Amino acid sequence: MSDLRDLYQEVILEHNNKPRNFRVLADANRKQEGFNPLCGDRIQLYLRVENGQIKDIGFQGSGCAISKASASLMTSTVKGKSEAEAVEIFEKVHGMLAGQTEHCGDLESMGRLGALSGVCEFPARVKCASLAWHTLKSALENKDGVTSTE
Amino acid sequence: MPPYQGGGDMISFVTFEKTHYNTLPYKFEAGTPNIAGVIGLGAAIDYVSAVGLERISKYEQELLEYASRKLSEIEDVRFIGTAKEKACIISFIFGDIHAHDVGTVLDREGIAIRTGHHCAMPVMERFGVPATARASLAFYNTKEEIDTLAEALKNVKKVFGR
Repeated sequence: MSDLRDLYQEVILEHNNKPRNFRVLADANRKQEGFNPLCGDRIQLYLRVENGQIKDIGFQGSGCAISKASASLMTSTVKGKSEAEAVEIFEKVHGMLAGQTEHCGDLESMGRLGALSGVCEFPARVKCASLAWHTLKSALENKDGVTSTE
Repeated sequence: MPPYQGGGDMISFVTFEKTHYNTLPYKFEAGTPNIAGVIGLGAAIDYVSAVGLERISKYEQELLEYASRKLSEIEDVRFIGTAKEKACIISFIFGDIHAHDVGTVLDREGIAIRTGHHCAMPVMERFGVPATARASLAFYNTKEEIDTLAEALKNVKKVFGR
């Protein structure tokens, strides 16, 4: 059985207590809402994308420590990245959360996102961690409406 | 009223010309009945009757009072639902720690509670909370288990540095 500390790593707790980019972007040109209807976690994501680059990003919402920390880590990671790079990071995180070993075993390349690696041992919490990332992907694909993890 | 499903004992007899349905309630109970469920329900009724509904109710009220007192002693526990004659369940929020995080930590200590909006989103909105944690007690629970819950809640605070 995994230790609680594998899930609630210091990085997670710290980002939960002080979420980065936790704000509304007044000059956002992409907005996306993410919702997990089963548990009620919600996120509003704001992006300013110019010439294929994520110039600025912010989020608001309510959810558990995992979902909030994951959103905070996501925004601070993709800020300044190109859309293509952001999709690449999404794919890596998605694989890691799903517990695919090639990603779980490649934590060093994940940097601080590796803090989310413990989540795959807690199946009930995977959706908490993936909500922000799925919402980002929808925003990059310019999908209208609400992104759901269901 | 025509039946919406066919099969099994809902038929009385069938000819090329006409189908004769069985009498009520069989006409509307197509297919194999939930035999295991019925036997299980019977066993449950026997069990509860043997223990005695009044004894169960009295014991559960004691448990509820004890749990309410114990949990109210923990700082930041706020009960949602405090009706005088409520069932033996305690819904609560725990400071700014989200119910799902509370649930996960308690789960690791072998305590199963339910967390989330409990299929009652409008009620969450009414109380202005995103989710609640809920301990459902029954007559097979003990005061010792409530003590364990109270201790585990203190550990939740430690995990989140509150």
